[in-house]
Amino acid sequence: MGRMSDAPKPDGGTVGRFRSVVLPHLDAAYGYARWLTRDPVEAQDVAQEAMLRALRYFHAFRGEEARPWLMRIVRNTWIDLRKRNGAEKLPLEVLETRAAEGPDPEQSALAGDRRRQVAAALAALPAESREVLVLREIEDLSYKHIAAVLDLPIGTVMSRIARAREKLVVELKGRLERSEHGLPDL
Amino acid sequence: MDCPTCETMVDAYVDGELTTSESAAFERALEGCPECRRRLEAARTLSGLLRELPAEPAPDLLRARIERELRTIAGASRVRLPGAGMRWGAMAAEPAPDLLRARIERELRTIAGASRVRLPGAGMRWGAMAASLIVAVSIGWLGGSLVGQGGRETDELVAGYIRMAMSEHGVDVASSDRHTVKPWFAGRIDYSPPVHDLTQEGFPLVGGRLDFIDGRKVAVLVYRHNQHRVALTLWPSSLSGNTAATVRQRDGFALAEWRHDGFDMRAVADLAPAEMKAFTTAVDAAVTEDR
Repeated sequence: MGRMSDAPKPDGGTVGRFRSVVLPHLDAAYGYARWLTRDPVEAQDVAQEAMLRALRYFHAFRGEEARPWLMRIVRNTWIDLRKRNGAEKLPLEVLETRAAEGPDPEQSALAGDRRRQVAAALAALPAESREVLVLREIEDLSYKHIAAVLDLPIGTVMSRIARAREKLVVELKGRLERSEHGLPDL
Repeated sequence: MDCPTCETMVDAYVDGELTTSESAAFERALEGCPECRRRLEAARTLSGLLRELPAEPAPDLLRARIERELRTIAGASRVRLPGAGMRWGAMAAEPAPDLLRARIERELRTIAGASRVRLPGAGMRWGAMAASLIVAVSIGWLGGSLVGQGGRETDELVAGYIRMAMSEHGVDVASSDRHTVKPWFAGRIDYSPPVHDLTQEGFPLVGGRLDFIDGRKVAVLVYRHNQHRVALTLWPSSLSGNTAATVRQRDGFALAEWRHDGFDMRAVADLAPAEMKAFTTAVDAAVTEDR
């Protein structure tokens, strides 16, 4: 990714190509940001900023797959914004309550208690485990693409996924013991 | 293959990342390894559970905000509605379009009809459009018969906010100077709203606009907070005394409702509730100080 000053100013034609190549992945960008931030308002900020950065970097886009390319920008934007805003924005308590909600509690409630439990368990995982599972299972990216998003070797991605699944099993079992929600045996 | 080896392959196998020969070797090893079979089952179950989580599409307001930026960057000379080049496929994939989506649809049709530009439906799937129309109609009916006056007022406030957020400038008079904004309302509405710039408090004044709430023409002051907009709608109250602002969340918006210095105040923004609360406090302090 070149520095901003190196980037040519996007013109109408660039914006048009950007619309057809990158903008269709806005749902995926928002979805990833939603799981990273665990907050709908923050997720919108991250997704918007990422889209604008993606447009600035679009001249350097070489026709590789657009979705992992965009996801990497989303992730870097999230890291930058978090640094800029500091962690003091939300007290830990709020963060934990939020984490227990998962995205869209209303829809999840309609979809059933099981989904809500799974979403809450995923949201409660540390970011490193959470994001690798989101990229693999929800965004359905291959190890190669996940490695590109996270800027890690494929072997590291593989072991992170294995570790993240172990953590999620523990998290879900903890929830299962606390209440009877008909989760299948793990 | 020894167990530590096959253990490391479980996840890659579930994720379809092994080559054909690796898969075959793993499957053979699995027969003699109950522990790895258990791990495999657990990984598969987890994968299934995660994949059935409902996807949350990008909110329409986010789309509108990005569209606004793209139009500005592209140097839009033509009027182009946010819907025109947008992808509405996500709507068709959803089991039931949510309230907000339906309301925005209705709004977009109203705006498109009023300004006689290209219909948002031009690039859209008509099946999805028809489905959401039915939903919009039934919501309208519910709004009238069940939700009542309070619900309709909120609907109108949110709809007004979306119109503001989607339009190019969002205001009829653009100025951060209260001495420009306040006189602009004179002769356009039958009361004089208190106007203050709240830059010091983190909410610079963007300008003012008119809207209709419950058939009445009202003043709307628009503020900015980072890249978010806050719409403050206010009109003279029939009741006296101040009330503390109550902030609630709906469809990703924060809504505040309170009474201060003889005015009924309503604020709408895509902000976190705590930021909205800070905004209402800033408004109250500025109005009180000005008396």
